[in-house]
Parts: sequence; C-alpha cells; structure tokens
Amino acid sequence: MSGTSTAPPALSVRGLTKTYDGGFTAVRGLDLEIRDGAFFGLLGPNGAGKTTLIGAVCNLLRPTAGEIRVFGHEHGTREARSLVGLAEQEINLDRFITTEKTLVYHAGYHGIGRSEAWRRARELLELFDLGGKARTRPTELSGGMQRRLLLARALMHRPRLLILDEPTAGVDVELRAELWQYTRRLHALGTTILLTTHYLEEAEALCEEIAFLRGGLIIARGSAQALRDRFGARDIGEVYARAMASQEGAAVAA
Amino acid sequence: MSISAPPAYDRPYRAERAAFLWLLEREVVRFLKIWRFTIAGQSLSALLFLIVFGFALSGRITGIGGIPYDRFILPGLVVQAVIMVGYINGTTSLFEARHDRYLHDVLASPLRWWEINLALVLGGVVREILTAAGILVIAVPLTGIGVQRPLVTSVAALALLISAAQVGVLAGAYSTSLDHVYSIEALVVLPLGFLSGIFYSTSRLPEAWNVLSHLNPILYYVEALRSGLLGHGSLPALAALAAAVGGAALLSGWSLLVFRSGAQLKP
Repeated sequence: MSGTSTAPPALSVRGLTKTYDGGFTAVRGLDLEIRDGAFFGLLGPNGAGKTTLIGAVCNLLRPTAGEIRVFGHEHGTREARSLVGLAEQEINLDRFITTEKTLVYHAGYHGIGRSEAWRRARELLELFDLGGKARTRPTELSGGMQRRLLLARALMHRPRLLILDEPTAGVDVELRAELWQYTRRLHALGTTILLTTHYLEEAEALCEEIAFLRGGLIIARGSAQALRDRFGARDIGEVYARAMASQEGAAVAA
Repeated sequence: MSISAPPAYDRPYRAERAAFLWLLEREVVRFLKIWRFTIAGQSLSALLFLIVFGFALSGRITGIGGIPYDRFILPGLVVQAVIMVGYINGTTSLFEARHDRYLHDVLASPLRWWEINLALVLGGVVREILTAAGILVIAVPLTGIGVQRPLVTSVAALALLISAAQVGVLAGAYSTSLDHVYSIEALVVLPLGFLSGIFYSTSRLPEAWNVLSHLNPILYYVEALRSGLLGHGSLPALAALAAAVGGAALLSGWSLLVFRSGAQLKP
C-alpha cells in the first residue's frame, strides 16, 4: 500500500468553472487542493458553490472549465470514481429496492462481487443500527435512518476520499454525535474527509483545515486557530462573519 | 469491523463482477418484483383486444387478404404491447431515477456512460420479451398463427425490441415532469399505435389516409412483423424491415449521444 507521505493530493481542483444553462455561474476559476488523510471543512452560505463543487468532483454535473484530479487520477476515470464516496445533502435513495439491496447494488456499481457485497451490506447495516430494517424500503424509514443509510451506502466500497455534504442537516443531537463518531474513526484509519456543514462549531471541532467559500471562490483557508488569529476572532462563528464581510468576501459576492 | 483502512490510491480499477451486470440486474429486479402489473397486466391488455376483436366480433369481420382476422391483428397487438412496455419501462426507470436523484449513485460510480445506457435498454428489452411471450403463449394456440418467414420475423422482432426500449429511455432522459411522461404516452405513443394498421390494412384506406399512415413510424414495425409471421403485409417486407432497422439504429445513435454528452442527465 502506498504511504500517505508520498500520495498525491486526495483532491486537486484547478480553475473549476461551472455556469449552468440559465447563465448562473456557481463557481468561477476555483482552485483547491486537499492532502491525503486530511479532515477538511468547506463552509459558506447557501449558493456559495459547495454542492456544485462536490457535484463536479463526483461526476454529477458537467464542469464548464477546469481540471479535477482525485489522488492523481482524472476525476472521470474509473480509478477516481472508485476512490470517492459521497453522502449527499438530499436524501436520494432508490425507492424500488430494499434497504439491504440499496447497499448491495451500490457495491455492485463499484464492481464488488456478490458475496462480498452482501457480507459488507450486513456489516454496515448492523454498524448503523439498521439490521432490523434490511428488507424495508428506504421510503419507509425515518429521516434519521435514511441519513444513516446514506452514510452506509457511501462507505460500501471503502472510499479513500469521503465527501459529506451537510450530513447532519435536520438530524437530532444524538444521531449527529453518532455520525461524527463514525466519521472520526474513518479519518483515524486514513480516510480523507471533505465536509460541508452549516454547524460552524462542528467544523471547528472536527476539521484540521477549513475553507470559506463565497460566490464560487475560496476567500479564506487555514486551521481554525490560524483563521481565528487572522481575523482576530474568538471563535469560528466570528471568523465566518468577518470573512464573509471582508473585502475578499464582498468582492466575490459582488 | 466494517470501518477499515481505505485501499491504496494507486491500484488499478478491477471489477470482481462487472458493474454493468449489477445495473442490469437492478433494472430487471425492479419490474419483476411487481410482475403482475409490469408483465401480466400488459400481456392481458393485448389478449383482451385479441379476444374482443379477433373472436367476439369475428362473425362480423371477415379476414383480410384471405387471412383470418384474429391472425391478422395479432402481430400488431404484439407491436403495440412491446412499444407501450418499452416506453413505460424506460420512463419509469430513468425519469424516476433523475427525479428522485438516486441516479447520482450510478453516475458517481465507475460505470461508464455506455454501460449505463446499455443496461437501461437491455432492462427494457427483457421486460418486452417477457410481455410478448405472455401474449404469444396464449395467442399462438388460440389463433394457430405460425412463423412464415423466420429471418424477417427475427430481424423485425429485434428492431422492435431495441426501438421500443430506446424510445422509453430517451423519453425518460428528456422528460422534465410526470406531466411530460404521461402526455407523451397518451397523446403520442398510444394514438400512433392504434393508427399503425393493427386492425386494418393501410392499402385499403382512402389515398390521403394511406399516405398519412406512412408517416407513422409504428406502421413499419407492424408491417415488418406481420410479413414475418403471416408471409405478407400491406408493405413490401424488405421496405418495412429496412425502415424498422433504420429506426432502431437512429434511436440507438440518438440515445448513445445523449448518454455520452450527459446533457439530459447532468446539469
């Protein structure tokens, strides 16, 4: 196995621009690099371009310009696709199949064999406390269960880069704590995490590095401590407010 | 423990089982789970037409071109059923996947664009074959129909199966609302099917209607299959067959372009 120190960046984005059909440019010339093994937080208001960036990385939209690499692989290659796991903000579960088959087919789409797919699905269902709902359709699960299933699905093919887009939106405190516990364990084992969240205190507690996104551009980036020092703030909430109101933030929003 | 260290970043992609087969399996499992509706219901609809028009009213309708009326309408009923099933299957599968966004699970995976296209189309083809088999297993003994020209029948059936599945997939890719899906079905697919010479020979229509009928693409599939099963139809077999095969090629090319560009699947 390749050592972390010699690994290329988990994610390298160069000059990413996405202009939608209606003419709205969500990200413009965005550059971003995340090292292998990082726990990286991406913060910004609604419409800042976070989900567009994630969609571009995960092959869910067509970038207008730019280059995206995942561990050195061009992002459209099968190697890159197999290294990325995504739990989206919106619940997007296949309503035609059961909870366990949601996991099994996801593994299948990543080329995993049948017996391994079933073994791993059973393990993850137990781990996420969904074992009793294996034969239930996702639409019949509670919101918290659906959120757990989304995370379990993202983990089925053992991604090296896990992207969590607002994973705790609308989730109660207990489940949120559980999700972060799983995520911390994954990170400790070497998984790179890219997290977007509106919960600033969570980002500060979890992420080694944080970037603020506004108007499709990164306006500030660093560790929580470095950002507090730079903006003369007491906590990350204050950093966020000052960054968004800063000249850089105002300029890209204009 | 399920949470384990991630794999190396530089290992080449290697599938233990082709991802394409998993997606195809999912497509087939989806409709087999509700086979009473997706297979039996569609077959029964065609058989009811055969029973009502071919048998109950057979005393009032003489055969066409020396062919008993029940045999004459059977190829067209099969075509109509296959096209409806292909349309419904493609739209249900792809439109719903786009609408509910679980298509993202497929798009973000190592599946290649042409594998996604092929799996969706083949899923539709399997459902069409099962539906057609459901009709023929009862209709063949009832009508005594046979296969007069096996090669023409085979090529016509293949062109029909592919075309119907592609129409469904394309409609599923382009539709932006359920209103679109149902409108196309009610205002385009169904009327074109009924006006495609299933129940009559277009050569007996007044000149203007005859010419108009030839603008209906489904006519060529009906005539091609009719030529294969009954030995002759209102159109020369080769002309009908060429149109059907051309239609299948055109629809397949269009479908491949849509999936290659991703324009209808990804913003």
